[in-house]
Amino acid sequence: MSATILIERVGPMTTVQDAGRIGALIHGVAASGPMDQHGFSTAAQKLPRWGTSGIEFTTSGLGLRLLSGQLEIGCAGGVFDARHNGSPLPWPATCQLVADDYLEITPSSYGNFGYVRFDCELDLPSVMGSLATNTRAGLGGFKGRALEVGDRLQFGRLGKDNQPSNPSSAPKGGDPIHFTWGIHAHLFNHDVRQGFVAGLFEVSEQMDRMGIKLRDQQNVFSSNQNLELVSEPVVPGDVQILGDGTPIVLMRDHQPTGGYPRIATISTPDLNRFAQCRPGTRICFEPITVEHSLAVEFSRRQM
Amino acid sequence: MRDPTENDPIAHPLIVPLGDRALLVRFAATLSVAANAAATSFAKKLAQSPPDGVTEIVPSLVSVQINYDPAKISPDRLAAELSLIAWSKLNADGYSGQTWRLPSRFGGEYGPDLEAVAHASDLDVDAFIDAHNATELRVLATGFAPGFVYCGFHGPPLQIPRRSTVRNQVPPGSILFAVGQTAVAATEIPTGWHVIGQTDFRNFDPASSPPTRFRAGDRLIFERTT
Repeated sequence: MSATILIERVGPMTTVQDAGRIGALIHGVAASGPMDQHGFSTAAQKLPRWGTSGIEFTTSGLGLRLLSGQLEIGCAGGVFDARHNGSPLPWPATCQLVADDYLEITPSSYGNFGYVRFDCELDLPSVMGSLATNTRAGLGGFKGRALEVGDRLQFGRLGKDNQPSNPSSAPKGGDPIHFTWGIHAHLFNHDVRQGFVAGLFEVSEQMDRMGIKLRDQQNVFSSNQNLELVSEPVVPGDVQILGDGTPIVLMRDHQPTGGYPRIATISTPDLNRFAQCRPGTRICFEPITVEHSLAVEFSRRQM
Repeated sequence: MRDPTENDPIAHPLIVPLGDRALLVRFAATLSVAANAAATSFAKKLAQSPPDGVTEIVPSLVSVQINYDPAKISPDRLAAELSLIAWSKLNADGYSGQTWRLPSRFGGEYGPDLEAVAHASDLDVDAFIDAHNATELRVLATGFAPGFVYCGFHGPPLQIPRRSTVRNQVPPGSILFAVGQTAVAATEIPTGWHVIGQTDFRNFDPASSPPTRFRAGDRLIFERTT
């Protein structure tokens, strides 16, 4: 009997995600996918077999009940408290759910985003080759929208066997956020570029799957001029400076192109870590080359 | 404002990293027919035989985004491949495509900004629509939102700036006008462009393959219906 879960408790911005809608940019659609790709894949690594998609939840937590069938689940990303029928599970968590079991996840010490992965595939329509929810375009996932209380998710076939791999170790929380200079970095003068590297920034409460605004505590960008730029491709991790000088880090549901100047692009592994920084976290930026960024990422995978 | 219909020759493009998963091949810093033709032709040529490890080729107004898998190709090696393609002669055929005729309603409830835009162009409404529809418009790029296309270019009388305020929502099919361009929205979007009309054509259907129909280089002809 195929498994069905019922969402009994959910916050805003909780979505079905998979590795992303690769190849959709040419149609004006961002790839979407998990805010913390590392957490998303770690959750799957906990399972003997895994479906390609999972649920991304937030600090509002998640409560789900298995209505029928059975499911093995893996949870990871940030640090959350997970309880299976009231009994605490260590994080990252795994457990076997049978009918009427309840999984309760509440926020703990770290992170904005957590993931539940399953040993079966979610039975949802593939949209442009992916199950990822794109909240901006209203595509994919469950009816193209965030999950709500009362939603029932059905599962289909078993996922594929877990291939043992060398999952990369998670970078440490307090390190600087590494970036490569962005495609408009040369348009910022030397003092502003220095200020960006030397300055302290704070993650603000204005955070969603499209972007995370930063507080520029030393007003590095206060004198930013409103440059008239040709619209050009955007990638996740771009640090864009809005007309009023506010820096915003563009995330997985970004606009495919944008006309505001972008000073930096956060490196792929550090973007996962950045996504987990809660509002109020102070961060500083450190420039690296693309070669260095890739060397660090690939050496970490082999450790 | 510089006239984008001037045809400047394009020097060799700049190849810059766009993070650690993409390179950007940029043909100019400002928009012109020549820069858009070069970007469009380059993207088409690259797509015919992409180097191993290239995962996505995304043409834009004056540049092309090339996503790659760093486990398969290093950015240095990819950049070298890309510059070989960019330095070879780009086929002018790369900047051609289909011709689309879009039945469109202008003004009134469909185009609340039409009168203001006509006035700013020193034309009466009918003369503006005629002038707008007489322009040979080419799809310059898809971007900003699903199936959203930028088309250009209009000559000097029809070059007016964006609105000073943004509308939070305009409906799918909206025909937008600003900065010497016409854009067509395929989904509901926020925009600071002038809304001059509406077409029933939807350049985005996620259930179709491919989900969008217009390609850079295609011709768009707007036909007024009532």
